Amino acid sequence: MPRMVALARRMLGNRADAEDVAQEVFLRVWTHAERWQPGRAQFGTWLHRVATNLCLDRLRKRRPENIDDIPEPVSGDPRPDENLERRELAERVEAALQALPERQRLAIVLSHFQGLSNIEAAEILEVSVEAVESLLGRARRQLRETLATERDEVLRINRTGA
Amino acid sequence: MMKNEISIGRLQEIVDAWGASPSRWPEAERSAAEALVAASAEARRLVDEALRLDLLLDAAPVEAPSDALMARLMAARPRPVAAPQRAPETRNRWRGLLEAVWPYGSPAIPAGTLAASIMLGILVGSAGDFSPLAETTIMASEATADDQIIALAMADIDWPEEWMQ
Repeated sequence: MPRMVALARRMLGNRADAEDVAQEVFLRVWTHAERWQPGRAQFGTWLHRVATNLCLDRLRKRRPENIDDIPEPVSGDPRPDENLERRELAERVEAALQALPERQRLAIVLSHFQGLSNIEAAEILEVSVEAVESLLGRARRQLRETLATERDEVLRINRTGA
Repeated sequence: MMKNEISIGRLQEIVDAWGASPSRWPEAERSAAEALVAASAEARRLVDEALRLDLLLDAAPVEAPSDALMARLMAARPRPVAAPQRAPETRNRWRGLLEAVWPYGSPAIPAGTLAASIMLGILVGSAGDFSPLAETTIMASEATADDQIIALAMADIDWPEEWMQ
């Protein structure tokens, strides 16, 4: 369940929508488990597909004129012991992720954050592995450019935090 | 078919897209890519470069699910069906048998535990017949059924694929 929340959180950019999606995923699992087809997809892949489709539905319902209604990414509960520098870095990375086109963001979320295999990611995105690679390549190129300064910063923070 | 060799240019495409971890690389090229990394300083430089972006992405963790979500899931969980009423003499026969093996109080405790154990055994042992809803809703012990349902929802790392193979 935390993985479904994480997927939705990174796709939707806010915790409230992410938890609504996670709840919907499990309601569907409980009420429509028979729709899962053994042999066609692993159960975990099927869950990711359900969560992904729910996220994409929500993103499509967000009208451009209502863009101001989209909650800003938040860093969550106060974490007084966390270094301010780390929190600011996390917010900049999160903002760069949210700025990616939807399918590029989904490719990064499934491959990097959810740790799915390239075949599973391709299945959920309904494209070939080569097409996933292309989406990932463009996404990471954009992230490298957006976060050029932060790449050095994370190394420094990791060194000092070690 | 595994590729025996790949070029440095192809390795760059791989790490630029999939990152520094070989576990994410395309399976067909993974061995060849790892061999190139082991043999080439330039290949290792490309992997190190990709690792910097991986670390940066990992610097943005997401929050754990809230307690409120857990409460909502608990409230929305499917409820087990009520056990049918048995005739008094049947109940007495079962009660006598259970009291013989569990003389320490309510026989509902070992009965529920036994039923839950049997159902868990069926769940874990069944092959190609996985249906979380059907299996969990017929459990004899409501508390145990709740535990199983929540365990299913929380089974984050070990999704029950092995039950279905």
